[in-house]
Amino acid sequence: MNDEYDLVIIGWGAAGFAAAIKASEITSGQARIALIGDGPLGGTCVNFGCVPSKYLIEAAAEAHAGSRHRGVSLARPSVDFRELMNGLREAVAGERTRKYEQVIARYENVELIHGRASFVNDREVVVNGRRISGYNFLVSTGSSPVIPDVPGISEFMTTNNFWNMSEMPSTLVIIGGGAAGLEIGQAMSRLGSEVHIVEPRRLVPPHADPDASSIIARSLQADGVRLHLGFTAARAEDGYLIIKGNGEELRIRADAVLVSAGRTPNVEGLNLDAARVAYGKNGVATSRTMQTSNPRIYAAGDVVAQRFMLETLAAREGAVAAENMYEHLGIEVNELEFPRALFTQPQMASVGTLEDECAGCRSKSVPLESVPRARIAGDTDGLFKVVVDREGRVVGVHVVAPNASEIIVEGAMAVRHGLSLSDIVDQPHVFPTISEGIKLAAQSFSRNVEDMPCCVE
Amino acid sequence: MKKVVLRVFGMTCNDCVSRVRAGLLEREGVLDASVSLKDGTAVVQIDEGVVRPDDLELLPVFKGGRYRAQVRSVE
Ligand SMILES: Cc1cc2nc3c(=O)[nH]c(=O)nc-3n(C[C@H](O)[C@H](O)[C@H](O)COP(=O)(O)OP(=O)(O)OC[C@H]3O[C@@H](n4cnc5c(N)ncnc54)[C@H](O)[C@@H]3O)c2cc1C
Repeated sequence: MNDEYDLVIIGWGAAGFAAAIKASEITSGQARIALIGDGPLGGTCVNFGCVPSKYLIEAAAEAHAGSRHRGVSLARPSVDFRELMNGLREAVAGERTRKYEQVIARYENVELIHGRASFVNDREVVVNGRRISGYNFLVSTGSSPVIPDVPGISEFMTTNNFWNMSEMPSTLVIIGGGAAGLEIGQAMSRLGSEVHIVEPRRLVPPHADPDASSIIARSLQADGVRLHLGFTAARAEDGYLIIKGNGEELRIRADAVLVSAGRTPNVEGLNLDAARVAYGKNGVATSRTMQTSNPRIYAAGDVVAQRFMLETLAAREGAVAAENMYEHLGIEVNELEFPRALFTQPQMASVGTLEDECAGCRSKSVPLESVPRARIAGDTDGLFKVVVDREGRVVGVHVVAPNASEIIVEGAMAVRHGLSLSDIVDQPHVFPTISEGIKLAAQSFSRNVEDMPCCVE
Repeated sequence: MKKVVLRVFGMTCNDCVSRVRAGLLEREGVLDASVSLKDGTAVVQIDEGVVRPDDLELLPVFKGGRYRAQVRSVE
């Protein structure tokens, strides 16, 4: 068999998979595709990212569950961490088999090639000495954890190997207060570790709505997580991590250290120059149609120089790249339309722009306490914030609520379709639900919600 | 005159070959077309003053239905 393909995809994560499947569908399974990858099939999301982290969070929520209502008490749950992690790894393997291995096996036109690819020129890559040539290419190599330079640190985990753990560390220090650090930190604290999160910035997660961030910080602290905001990891010695900030130096016992200080696009070693693909340390430059500086080469997912690293965005970009190769429609991706969530408890979810990023925009927020369902549930930590532009179109929605990740989709529809406040107010909701919060926030632009009875239209 | 080689996806029988060929010849400026089922290609002679190679990818026969085309070379 010759090594000439219609499409060569480098990276078999969410973006690469979506592209392989979309390209197969459009071409009736006739595009000959090489899907090249390194590490387990499915890439970050299923193996080291979304799936294991959400599993851990769900298990920790069960361990933490308490009653918020008088007259109901729950027995204190016990945690067998080793068994929990065995279950987690089985769940990951199960998802990988079902949603990746078995799915791709149905596509006879897709050949899986194991190894690291590097461009030889703009028509060829080399993998383990084998030359593979193609007409179109997709660079979907994802991202890797950033490792900050902390003198003396010898043993640490990243989110790539955290999931192999079997013993629960009695103290866990997490370097970095981004989404992964906060999610894992809260879960581990609920399971029984003493968790410290060290973050140089004042807000966790960074780049979020400040009001929403402070509720998240408070909730984590209430769960027992020690947040060291304004601190950086200075050095490690004798099982301790020395952190500095705010004119102070603290020594924290660290049985285990998790580095989750951001991720960097995987552009190294690809020899993109040989393919005339423009890139920088922030990733591969693309147009909104996912085309790189070389029109036959596309890029998608975490490797792209863009703002968000999301499974949904990666998959959409991969699919759009394939559509643009074969349909020639120039379909565009707008990453600001993608909702994103932090799966702590409460959850935080956002779509569109932040209030302070948008000149001339106005915003209003209502506390979750104003939503009847939240009061009934006895779970009132949260808020709904809506940002509108000068024309009154909804351009941003930010939610902190127990189920913010589910509710944000309404905000995402509003942002994507340029809806107005009255479109949201006129949309019937179900009473009593948390989702009514977005309607209340929209109403709050024109009336005082505290003066409104229940269910006011 | 230019010779354009298209990669054509979605053809499964001789009927497809005739449909793709007819779809190409329908376009003004397409002088001749030979379509191969085995290779999944079409070699098209065009008058480049009337039709551009990229226009061929957007012909109705390559939209909506099951066939898709990509320009692979222009001589
Ligand atoms: C802990 C954690 C939790 C997360 N939770 C969520 C979440 O809840 N929701 C969400 O939307 N997103 C989440 N994300 C982000 C999400 O996982 C990523 O945005 C998404 O997986 C990116 O997909 P991708 O296809 O771009 O890259 P990846 O899935 O990383 O795939 C890239 C693949 O390319 C391979 N590769 C790299 N270089 C080469 C090379 N030279 N040759 C061949 N192969 C190569 C890699 O080994 C990998 O298999 C999370 C991430 C982490 C780390």
